[in-house]
Order: sequence, then structure tokens, then C-alpha cells
Amino acid sequence: MSGEAKLIIQDLCHHYPDEYTGQSVHALEGINLQVYENEFVAIVGPSGCGKTTLLNIVAGLLPYREGRAMVDGVEIRGPGPDRGVVFQEHAILPWRTVARNIGHGLELQRVPKEETRRRVQEYIDLVGLTGFENRYPHELSGGMKQRVAVARTLCADPVIMLMDEPFAAVDAQTRITLQDELNRIVMATHKTILFITHSVEEAAFLGDRCIVFSRRPGRIKTEIKIDIPREQRVWKEMGTNPKFTEARDQILHLVRQEVTSDDEH
Amino acid sequence: MTAISEFSIAIQRRVGRQRLRRGILGSIPFIFIIFLWELNTYFVWYEPIEIPPIADVWGAIFFMQSDCPGLVAAFQLHNDCQLSNNIMSSVGRVILAAVVGIPFGIAFGILAGINRTISGYLEPVGIFMNSVSGIAWIPLAIVWFGVGWETTLFIMLNTIFWLIFFNTMMGVRAVPKVLVHGVQTLGGSRFDTIWNVYLPGAMPSIITGMRMSLAFGWRALIAAEMIGGDSGLGFMIFVSAVEFKTEEVFLGVILISLIYLMSDRWLLVPLEKWTIERWGLVWKPT
Ligand SMILES: Nc1ncnc2c1ncn2[C@@H]1O[C@H](COP(=O)(O)OP(=O)(O)OP(=O)(O)O)[C@@H](O)[C@H]1O
Ligand SMILES: [Mg+2]
Repeated sequence: MSGEAKLIIQDLCHHYPDEYTGQSVHALEGINLQVYENEFVAIVGPSGCGKTTLLNIVAGLLPYREGRAMVDGVEIRGPGPDRGVVFQEHAILPWRTVARNIGHGLELQRVPKEETRRRVQEYIDLVGLTGFENRYPHELSGGMKQRVAVARTLCADPVIMLMDEPFAAVDAQTRITLQDELNRIVMATHKTILFITHSVEEAAFLGDRCIVFSRRPGRIKTEIKIDIPREQRVWKEMGTNPKFTEARDQILHLVRQEVTSDDEH
Repeated sequence: MTAISEFSIAIQRRVGRQRLRRGILGSIPFIFIIFLWELNTYFVWYEPIEIPPIADVWGAIFFMQSDCPGLVAAFQLHNDCQLSNNIMSSVGRVILAAVVGIPFGIAFGILAGINRTISGYLEPVGIFMNSVSGIAWIPLAIVWFGVGWETTLFIMLNTIFWLIFFNTMMGVRAVPKVLVHGVQTLGGSRFDTIWNVYLPGAMPSIITGMRMSLAFGWRALIAAEMIGGDSGLGFMIFVSAVEFKTEEVFLGVILISLIYLMSDRWLLVPLEKWTIERWGLVWKPT
């Protein structure tokens, strides 16, 4: 792998206490995972297997007790700008314009105004929102809102970017465009990304490595390397790329096992 | 005919068709009431002491201000400017109570909205205060503060603060958690989440609270002035009624609703336009 491990997770477990029944929900079990610099790691798994739980722990939004989680060698204790998150729902602020949403991270980090303006413009152009700088989110389409969310996270320049099904709420056509765009952005910015998705296609299309989770309690079932150069990852060509179809079918098979083995439970 | 239609088109362009329609619909009941009122002046179904003619009510303005040396003196609260003094005394109290009550209500509302311990302390007492707030406090306030401005101010503050407090708290609780998480993961502090998320997120609810507190505050003020005040429009209405100057009573009532209407149109509506409408947080009929 290129470079050092940016994110290290060791023997991580998680139980949600249930206030009403007193029984706890066992969400994660023995997770060991490393994400290296400039790597794109996609996580797929059946619904309710603990993917969001893992991401929230890494984001620092959910405290954990069992195991360890470190970013850049520092134990995770609460949220911070070194871990940028793109949420599934629109988390951009309705009361800020596109430009002020995207520059929010820099504003919070007290970056000088002039530099903020320059970098905001750069990312607005990167995600293709030029001309929409002064619009409010309610004037944008769902896909555009998610572009703002991606740009907002990128602009704050995190060590690792965490994405929790960021394209799940947009229509199929927009999703394909956004996936192509994300690829282009990854090429341009060399970001380290942990990406969660329901979609096997999406995982195989975007990930350098794809982690398949088991059913709850979520464990890492297998991981699959997808050795396709970024430049070749364009939807127009990917559909016929044998490496892609092979990886996709393999992941699909693994995920299906998890979903259909329901009755053994 | 063409002149009229041209005129009507010009007006429609200026104020907008929908707004014009609403304005016309809304003024029909008022025109009807004024029409009946005028009829009464001619047919005298009711004596002038019961329903005075419109001209008398209009005349009461000049009668009450007759000894007033001028506009400057009116603003200096000259002793002989009866009507303007009463108006300014009421408006002044509303402004004072709003300036104190609204910021404190918002501050405590936000704290109670984000902190369970604080809301644990304040919510029960708030429910208690809200249920007996307003005019029910007047007798006790008179015992505590005597007849005068302290009593009316207390009544107002008590009404405004708790309404703003509750609305802000509810508004804060309705703010989607994901917005807070977003700011936290961008490196925002506790203060940043309050200033950038909770406060603007609670704005629709805060504005509702302001509207309610203005409405209830005015009512409470008028009642407090009638019973426990020594100046203001409520006091004026009360004294005029005792002296059977019905036209002054009418004038007072009309002024109260006009002032309330103006405060809504010129303060709350612009605030609404500037914040929640611009942010797309209000439902607008299309
Ligand atoms: N706050 C919570 N309290 C109790 N249980 C929870 C809580 N959040 C999640 N869970 C449970 O933990 C398990 C894992 O949830 P999680 O949201 O991580 O799943 P997921 O893999 O993200 O699912 P999906 O793909 O549907 O988003 C689920 O069974 C869920 O019911
Ligand atoms: Mg999830």
C-alpha cells in the first residue's frame, strides 16, 4: 500500500444500550481495519449491520469503549476537523449560501478571509457549482445539495473523508453523474476516503478496496482489492471492464450470502 | 373605463396580484363595519354615548392633544400632551419589556433546548408560569409593586419571557441533529453549534414566539394598565369609560390594534423575510 495508515481500527466492538428493554444491541464485533493514505475504501454490507455505527465512531460522534480507533496515530475522542463527514441526509445549513456552506470549515478554523474566498471558489468550480455561489440550499436540487456537502468537507481539508451513503437519496441518473464526479475529484485531490454504501456497483466502481460486512453484529467478512486505475473508472467504460464486473459479481455473491442466510438465525 | 383598468393594472404590477386580492378580501369586513357605524350616526339606533360617530372619535385626537404645544413637546412627554403621552407610555413599556424579555427568553430557551439538566430545572416552572401568566398576576403584582409602571412591566416581562423561552426551546429541539454533527465535524465548538445551528434553526419557532408574545403582551399590558397602571392606553380607556367619554374609549381601542398591526408589519414581517423566508424554512402558498 502507498504510504502510511491514516486510520487504524483495532478490535473495535460496539453495543448500543437499549433504554426500554434493558437489553443491548450488539452492533459491531472485532473490527480490524486500516485505511492508508490516498486510499479509497468502500464498505458494503446488509442493512443494519453496523456500517453507520462504525462511521459515527470514527467521526467521533459516537463514543466507544471496546477496542481502539486512531487517526494519524491519535486516539479518537470526539469530532474534529481532521475527519470530514458527508452524511446521507443533507447536512448543509439552510441559512448559509452555497459559498458560505463550503467555506464554513475554514471559517471555523479562523483561516483568513482572502484565502478562504480563493479556496471556496476552487472547490465550487471543482464540484461544478460555478454561478450558484450565492444561492441558498432550498434553491438547489438534491444532487446539487450533495455536491455542496462534498465540497464543504473537501474544503476543510480533512486527513480522512468519511462518507455514509452520500448518494443514496438522489435519483439513479444523478447518482451515476455524482459517482463519476467523485472519481474525478479523488484523482484531483488525492483524498483518503472511507465510503459506506448499500450498492455493490458503487463500491466496486469507486473503491480501491472493498470491505464486506457480515450481518449484525457487524464483522469484516472479506475484503476485495479492485485494481483498476482511477483514469479508467468512468461509467461509460466500466460496464465492460472485466476487472470491474468480476469484482462486482464477487462482492454481490458475498453480500447475497449475508442477506439470504437470514433464516439460519 | 380604460383609465380605471389601466390604474388597476398599474396597482397590480406594483403590489402583486395575490397580495392585492388578499388585501381587498381582508378589508371587506372592515368596510362593512365602518359602513354600519356610519349608518348608526344617521339613524341613531344607539345613542352617541354608546356608539359615538366616527367624526367624534377622530375629533377626540385633537381634543386630547389640544393643550400640547407641538410635536417636539409631544416627544418630550410634555404634561399637556395627553394622548401622545399615553401612547408613548404603552409603546415604551412594550419596547422595554421586549428588549429585556426576548434576548433572555432566547438565551434560556437555547440552553434548556440543548441541556437536559437546565430544562429539568426550568420546564416545570415554565409550565406553571405560562398557565397562570398574563393578567392573573395583576392583583399580586399590585400588592408587590403598587400601582404604576413596575406592575405593568412585571406583567409584560412575565408574559413575554416565558412565551419566548418555550418557543425557543421547542425550536431548538426540532433542529435536525445531523446539522449539528455537520458543524462539529468541521471543527465547530459548542458555541459555534449554538450560533451557527441552534439559533438560526430555531428561528421559525422564535418568530412565532415573538408574534405570540407581542399579541399576548399587548393584551396583558392593556389589562395591567387598566387595573394597576397610572398611564398608558389601557389607563386612558379605563378613565375615559368612567367619565363616559366613549369616543376616547373607541380611539384607544383602535389605536391599540393599529399599533399592534404596525409592529407586526414593520418589525416581524421584515424579520421573517430576512431570515426564515430567505432560508426556505417557511411554507409558502404557490
Ligand atoms: N442509537 C441506537 N440505539 C440502539 N440501537 C441502534 C442505534 N443506532 C443503531 N442501532 C442498531 O444497531 C444496528 C446497526 O445500525 P447501523 O445504523 O450502524 O446500521 P447500518 O449498517 O448503517 O444500516 P443501514 O445500511 O440500513 O444504514 C442496527 O440493528 C440498529 O438497529
Ligand atoms: Mg447506515
